[in-house]
Amino acid sequence: MIEKKVRIINDAGLHTRPAATIVKLAAKFKSEFFIVKDGISINGKSIIGVMTLAAEKGSEVILSFEGDDEFEASEVILDYFNRGFDEM
Amino acid sequence: MKVNEKNITRKESLSVELFYAKTKDRFKLKLITPKWGFDRTIVDQNLHRPGLALAGFVDLFSYNRIQIFGNTEMRYLDKLSNGDRLTALERLFKFDLPCFIITDKNKPHSEMLELAEKYQVSIFCTEDSTTKLVYLVSDLLDDHFAPQLVLHGSFVDVYGIGMLFVGKSGIGKSEVALDLVERGHRLVADDVVIFTKKGEGILMGSGTELAKHFMEVRGIGIIDVKSMFGVRAIRYQKRLEVVIELELWDDKSEYTRTGLDNKNVNLMGVEILNIKLPILPGKNITVISEVIALNYLLKHYGYDAAKVFQDNLTEKINNKTKGKNPDRMVDYFEHDFE
Repeated sequence: MIEKKVRIINDAGLHTRPAATIVKLAAKFKSEFFIVKDGISINGKSIIGVMTLAAEKGSEVILSFEGDDEFEASEVILDYFNRGFDEM
Repeated sequence: MKVNEKNITRKESLSVELFYAKTKDRFKLKLITPKWGFDRTIVDQNLHRPGLALAGFVDLFSYNRIQIFGNTEMRYLDKLSNGDRLTALERLFKFDLPCFIITDKNKPHSEMLELAEKYQVSIFCTEDSTTKLVYLVSDLLDDHFAPQLVLHGSFVDVYGIGMLFVGKSGIGKSEVALDLVERGHRLVADDVVIFTKKGEGILMGSGTELAKHFMEVRGIGIIDVKSMFGVRAIRYQKRLEVVIELELWDDKSEYTRTGLDNKNVNLMGVEILNIKLPILPGKNITVISEVIALNYLLKHYGYDAAKVFQDNLTEKINNKTKGKNPDRMVDYFEHDFE
């Protein structure tokens, strides 16, 4: 299992568009993907779930990956977070 | 089905401000002081009647609970002289307690109001009896401090049975839920379901405040079940009774054939019936779900089909007088050609 702590850095936070991109990216991998915020863990492959987090700018979330392609999945998704969802 | 214990959360405190917001309309609690000490926190779901502490015994004083002043405490304070009353009350106020509730239409003594200002503690009054108030507030605090578990799945009320569909992303949980709603059942939540433990053996499930009855269907996007199907298609919360695990057919996995060997899953210490359903072409999961619900209801009302069949078989085996070949269901109907 891979766990990475990451901060939301774009102004608009984790809104609909990035949430949709995240679930699309995650769906390409077989690994299970969870996002944890304030102790609540949700399935990162569910758009409703990801949007439920309502993660604002500056908030910190933990991304957790488990499965055969966990490394590749973590690289791709972590990179998308670090790019500020391409809104920077 | 495996559940990560780490995902079980429990709230550790409740601020007096939030407590007031939750209770003011619900329980007719009146705040009789200004908003003093609204940042103080309640960390224990139990309530405390501080009779002994007023009398001077504070060794095991449960100061971190809400302090209830009922008729006993008020009559006792009435009997004291002004000076003694101040001493008795100040003994309590010196502790870091959350707030006071005075029940049964009682009014606080002037010493109590002075101390409330000095130590910045809020006092609430209610017309309800102590028993009623304790009952109401305990239930609210129990709920607030109860362990919670967030699960990924679709939660539907099928014939009054709370059914949670779980399984890998994209296996069709939402589609099954949608199909059930179309057939007149009620959606509680899709994707993110929060389960709260109630008492010892009950789990209540509800959606999140943000997601409500919205749902994602692959290929369509986000839909709102409440607007689309109307209010009859939804409900706010439901007790969890069956967990249905959808999975792709797996030759190595064993599925129950008789229904005599049911498995349970333990969620926060509560045993819930856990059924594995393999998905195959031509298999109508919606109808099967309805049948599971009806079978669950039958069992609940005392009829277990698998057990009845088993008993019939045992009786047949033990009854030597009957022939070896299987008998017809009806023995002989005269001139029945229909």
